[in-house]
Amino acid sequence: MQHLTARAKATAYTILILFSAFALVPILWAFGTSLKPENHILQYPPSWLPAEFTWNHYYNVLFRSNFPTYFLNSVMVTAISIVVSLFIASHAAYAASRFRFKGMNLLLFLILMTSMIPGIAVLIPLYLISVKVGIYDTFLVMILIYTAWRTPMLTWVLKGFFDAIPREIEEAAKVDGCSPWRAFYQLILPVSQPGLAASALLSAVYVWNDFLVAFSFTTKDDLRLLSVGLYNYITQYGINWGQLMAAVIISILPVVALFIGLQSKFVDGLSVGAVKG
Amino acid sequence: MELTRGKEKWVALAFMAPALLLVAMVSIYPIFVAVNWSLYETSYVQAVRYVGLDNFVALFTSENGVRNMVNSAVYVFSSILLVIPVSVLLAVLLNLKLRFRMLFRTMIILPWVISQTVTALLWKWMINANYGPITYMLEQIAGIKTDLLSTSPGANLSLIIANVWNTFPLALVLVLAALQTIPSELYEAGRVDGASGWKSFFHITLPLIRPTIMVAIITLSLEYFNMVTLIYVFTGGGPFSATETLSLRAFKEGFDYWNVALGSAFSVILFIFNILLSLIYIRLLRGRAH
Repeated sequence: MQHLTARAKATAYTILILFSAFALVPILWAFGTSLKPENHILQYPPSWLPAEFTWNHYYNVLFRSNFPTYFLNSVMVTAISIVVSLFIASHAAYAASRFRFKGMNLLLFLILMTSMIPGIAVLIPLYLISVKVGIYDTFLVMILIYTAWRTPMLTWVLKGFFDAIPREIEEAAKVDGCSPWRAFYQLILPVSQPGLAASALLSAVYVWNDFLVAFSFTTKDDLRLLSVGLYNYITQYGINWGQLMAAVIISILPVVALFIGLQSKFVDGLSVGAVKG
Repeated sequence: MELTRGKEKWVALAFMAPALLLVAMVSIYPIFVAVNWSLYETSYVQAVRYVGLDNFVALFTSENGVRNMVNSAVYVFSSILLVIPVSVLLAVLLNLKLRFRMLFRTMIILPWVISQTVTALLWKWMINANYGPITYMLEQIAGIKTDLLSTSPGANLSLIIANVWNTFPLALVLVLAALQTIPSELYEAGRVDGASGWKSFFHITLPLIRPTIMVAIITLSLEYFNMVTLIYVFTGGGPFSATETLSLRAFKEGFDYWNVALGSAFSVILFIFNILLSLIYIRLLRGRAH
């Protein structure tokens, strides 16, 4: 496999370069647009490189729109959803990994089974329920839904990590009079941090990127998340593409930076999640 | 392992309780609500009368309902047909000991972290009828300037390409991980027997990564089948209902037209389909574990 002819190598590089271009061009085109003055954006044939640069679109998005509020809302909702679902899922996963009694498997199955329920299938009922309960149009309803939707996958992945930790650790602690609660918080959780981080990362990207829940469960402008803010640009008459693309670039910056910095964690988390979730 | 008894059993239940409560509230109970509503005729959020399976009959026999199913099938199959060969090819290339392969890998799988909303916006701008670079390239090739989103084939093709762009990294990463587990001795043994290049790919590589490819096909089929955001933001289901899939219809019936009963019926159909595919998926994983 490793003895490639020069021609095979050239073909391989050509294909890789073509697909790298396919992957990057839409993003680069958006970035170019975000830096062009209005008259260069609305120009045909389009030009790839901006003839003049301007930071105006970024200025307008950051200082003359509600976009910073949406950004902070997204940060907050993502962070809370991830912390809460990790908390809930790690407890369930620990119980499933360490305790055996009649009915335990059924309980675990119930939690995991819900990952087969697609979000779109429960969106309408959730809307009706949230109105009835009085939590429609709040951060709470979004956080509850995101947390619940991430819990089954996280529980399954974390159970895998806990299963791999030798039981002797807790048995030794138990002899010393340590309760299951303390064993979990002081012994197991700290060792599982790499596992927690990889799965937290994927879940964070999921929540950060979601549109449907944020769009369907909020109407107030100051509760909006990023994705809904982006969508609103194209519902206006006469789309301001320069500003929209500046907003797009700002919204993908955090995930792209995380991805480039922690690529191996993403790849690990993805394979684990897809094979086990 | 010994059975857990007494006080420890209560500790275990306490650990499980929050997760159970949450999924019961947010996933299990709503499914029953959806099934219930799908059996009624509704006006906004009021049940008017019980109609049994009429909503489902309407869904399977109406021209629109059938078109939604056909659209879903076209969307899922075309995307899979493009994504799988592309990801396998790229995974094989990225598994070679080439220079810059980490850089290529980073660039090629980057679209995976981009949201469906942003994917739709990026591609909407790429094919914009007035200023899009793809519109310009197509004009150079075909001689006429076209608005891709105004025709059914154009809209479907654009949507599928955008979807492929956003989702092929998932299949690529899975296949690449599978390739990395194949010991190089196998290829060396193959070479002794005269298998190299294509021959070694079809006789050694492909059989070993087939289970992973199946897992990727099912995971992605489910994702495509349930997809709403990309289609809603990109084409809105148009032109007319040329790109309106079952899942998009479920969403629009509920949130655009306030037709709770019909929307619920669509949701129930989606749910059943998901269960069926998931069961196949579980069987596959079991088969692989044995």
